[in-house]
Amino acid sequence: VCVAGYGQSGGNEILQLLPPPTLQAKETQGLCPERDFKVECGGFSNRPVYSLKYVPDTSLLVTTGPPDSSLQVWQVSAEDSDVIKPVSAIPTESVPGQPWARIATISARAPWVLHGSRLNSVQITEVESRKNVYMAGIQTKSNDGFLESWELVLCCAKGQLCLADVRQPQSPLEAVSVPSAPCGERWCMGVGRGPQGSDSSSQPIACLSSGGHLTLTDVRKTSESLASAKCRVPSPSSAAEFLCVSWAPALESCLAVSGFDGTVHVYDVQSWDSSGREAEPIFVHKGHAFGGSDSSGGPPFVTVHAWHPQKPRTLLSAASDGSLHIWDWVQACG
Amino acid sequence: MPEIKVTPLGAGQDVGRSCILVSIAGKNVMLDCGMHMGYNDDRRFPDFSYITQNGRLTDFLDCVIISHFHLDHCGALPYFSEMVGYDGPIYMTHPTKAICPILLEDYRKITVDKKGETNFFTSQMIKDCMKKVVAVHLHQTVQVDEELEIKAYYAGHVLGAAMFQIKVGCESVVYTGDYNMTPDRHLGAAWIDKCRPDLLISESTYATTIRDSKRCRERDFLKKVHETVERGGKVLIPVFALGRAQELCILLETFWERMNLKAPIYFSTGLTEKANHYYKLFITWTNQKIRKTFVQRNMFEFKHIKAFDRAFADNPGPMVVFATPGMLHAGQSLQIFRKWAGNEKNMVIMPGYCVQGTVGHKILSGQRKLEMEGRQILEVKMQVEYMSFSAHADAKGIMQLIRQAEPRNVLLVHGEAKKMEFLKQKIEQEFHVNCYMPANGETTTIFTNPSIPVDISLGLLKRETAMGLLPDVKKPKLMHGTLIMKDNSFRLVSPEQALKELGLAEHQLRFTCRVHIQDPRKEHETVLRVYNHLKGVLKDYSVQHLPDGSITVESILIQATAHSEDQGTKVLLVSWTYQDEELGSYLTSLLKKGLPQSTT
Repeated sequence: VCVAGYGQSGGNEILQLLPPPTLQAKETQGLCPERDFKVECGGFSNRPVYSLKYVPDTSLLVTTGPPDSSLQVWQVSAEDSDVIKPVSAIPTESVPGQPWARIATISARAPWVLHGSRLNSVQITEVESRKNVYMAGIQTKSNDGFLESWELVLCCAKGQLCLADVRQPQSPLEAVSVPSAPCGERWCMGVGRGPQGSDSSSQPIACLSSGGHLTLTDVRKTSESLASAKCRVPSPSSAAEFLCVSWAPALESCLAVSGFDGTVHVYDVQSWDSSGREAEPIFVHKGHAFGGSDSSGGPPFVTVHAWHPQKPRTLLSAASDGSLHIWDWVQACG
Repeated sequence: MPEIKVTPLGAGQDVGRSCILVSIAGKNVMLDCGMHMGYNDDRRFPDFSYITQNGRLTDFLDCVIISHFHLDHCGALPYFSEMVGYDGPIYMTHPTKAICPILLEDYRKITVDKKGETNFFTSQMIKDCMKKVVAVHLHQTVQVDEELEIKAYYAGHVLGAAMFQIKVGCESVVYTGDYNMTPDRHLGAAWIDKCRPDLLISESTYATTIRDSKRCRERDFLKKVHETVERGGKVLIPVFALGRAQELCILLETFWERMNLKAPIYFSTGLTEKANHYYKLFITWTNQKIRKTFVQRNMFEFKHIKAFDRAFADNPGPMVVFATPGMLHAGQSLQIFRKWAGNEKNMVIMPGYCVQGTVGHKILSGQRKLEMEGRQILEVKMQVEYMSFSAHADAKGIMQLIRQAEPRNVLLVHGEAKKMEFLKQKIEQEFHVNCYMPANGETTTIFTNPSIPVDISLGLLKRETAMGLLPDVKKPKLMHGTLIMKDNSFRLVSPEQALKELGLAEHQLRFTCRVHIQDPRKEHETVLRVYNHLKGVLKDYSVQHLPDGSITVESILIQATAHSEDQGTKVLLVSWTYQDEELGSYLTSLLKKGLPQSTT
């Protein structure tokens, strides 16, 4: 598990933590002695870290954050030291006022990172050589994801989804769907894995708006949504920075939503239709709300969440008061 | 440069054998003298031969300080003082002095009587060793000798644990021993004032851990105990008599009270009564809450916890038993374990670290078939759980302590160097101090910058203030004087007084320089020209034209004479004393540049 701070005043830490052995996927022999996290390695970042991703199959990390949209590349876990060292920075053309970049990583032919803060500045860069592999064209802010090796999908803040093919660099991105929800809301998305055994092109995409609207789309037919619902949010959140929606890797049709307040909601989408009515979460994690106040004095809100890759109902969530929770829920029987 | 030298003598990264040698301003102090519980041979004691090869330890060491009664900090003390040989003072807090001999004797009994070891200290040695102990109070400054003083601070962790400040003149070292920065149910948190030592030596065994919240840990423990008891099983908790056991007792007692549970809880006798006796005796060492409620109700007099009798182990029905010793290596806890191991409804919860070779360690590693004495195989069907309740500081705690004490340097012991690089950087970045991590046997030298107080004579002080410009209080002021070092005192006096005291005559050093100037006029006209020129240039200085034809600039004398061979050249004699060297050189170079063509 890798965590990083996003304080404005510099001196933010990036820590790679080893969760207690009870939470690791493999079957443990003997006993798991501790409930403690071990700090495997750590590093320091001058800028606040707003987004952090591992580059698969390498020991590299990529982070982004204000003040500009460049990326920092870090080397984790060298043999002889436990320091996360900065390796290089991938610069981008910085236009003043351009917000920080969103990133996604993949190791296809080589470790790549997809990044950009606006649609017109979306690029794929090879992490190690910092060579640009792909560039694209249009406007507005984005939130990206790799679908599989060649295609990428972007979700813009206004809610449009754009698809592109990496093999055709330089082609303009076309918006393939527009959400049917009130404007003024900001959107983010999560890409799920297709059902086991089927071909990988039927991946569902979930889009979440700051007003609590959730739209599910199939990547092959992006013009119409598969289903939509509304989740119960306390009040439409204006701080859409921390909106996060993600699919469970080990469960069918489950997704988690966070970023509105100090809770994480888990939904089962099998029963959803296109009516857009309010959906009941199958579980709400409220732990962070009891944590006391964060640095700005208000109640803590969840900044990000992630699913455990192997354990079925286990999630990790972090909040603005610096807490990290690993939790699961029990299905009520009967 | 004056330096402080630190050499850890303890064993690797294992918990055990804490022993650190510190050399400060000519004094040598040994911090802790622990034993490693995992070894049965000489490796269990620190290597004392490192200290001095042939000299007597008593002559070399000024004192020995023990931080707390855990055997990995005091276990080697009788061996050290009686078998290797040391007769100097040994300092520890009162609770430590009271409890140490009990634990040492207990351990001796097991090692010698049960295991049959021969090269071990005897009961008499323990007694003789304790006679050399001087007990100290918290925050009491103890003068070890004229120059060396020590002071103990509260460390939490266990009853009587202390952090020690060692001070010689203005150099000081703080040794933390084991400490805990978060208070628990029966002990407070460690505390130290802003003593700004030159060096802070801290244990770092748990420095790369971020601890789970204590509430979750406790809740987990209580859940397991409750579940076992609910289904009729028995829970065995092997503990050392003093230490975490009291913490867990208070936890269970509170839980039983709240949940109105009826199953009996037992605490095995032997060390129990003595333990509770000491907690009551040293009540001031416990935390605020316990002290406050002590008058109405003694926290260590439990309503639900009773004394154990060996026969109870065979009673049917659920129960919870705290039994010693803690690693299931011998004694009562092992006996009970053997009785209960075959039933899967039962549970054993190990609340702490187990040394390799003990039954505790074996079952924690997953062994389910154990070979007992007489080749008997014991099948372990009972549930085995491990909950670590030890109270140590983690990385956050270390940072907190450094923030409190504000040391100039930090030294971490008992951590693996490779895994500590990040913490080292964190400390260096946040506090701008050096952080060292010596391996065992490796000496680290820390350079200090002590200030030396010097007496200044009144005459010199008056002279300096009379010299003019009021000193800016923030800026250092340069003054000239003579430093007299006699016996152990330093005095700063004026040079004249120094000479007088030494009976020496004062010598004056005078420089003279000849400057040639082309000037065909008469001497006194040249002098006038020089005078006007100097007066114009040296506006801040007193330039005077004396009746005898010479010019003075401050105390520098300038005279003009005609050159013996060449009437057109005048020779200016510039003469100054050693003290006016700077001005003299400046004047000379000024005059060498020649006189301006003036219209005098």
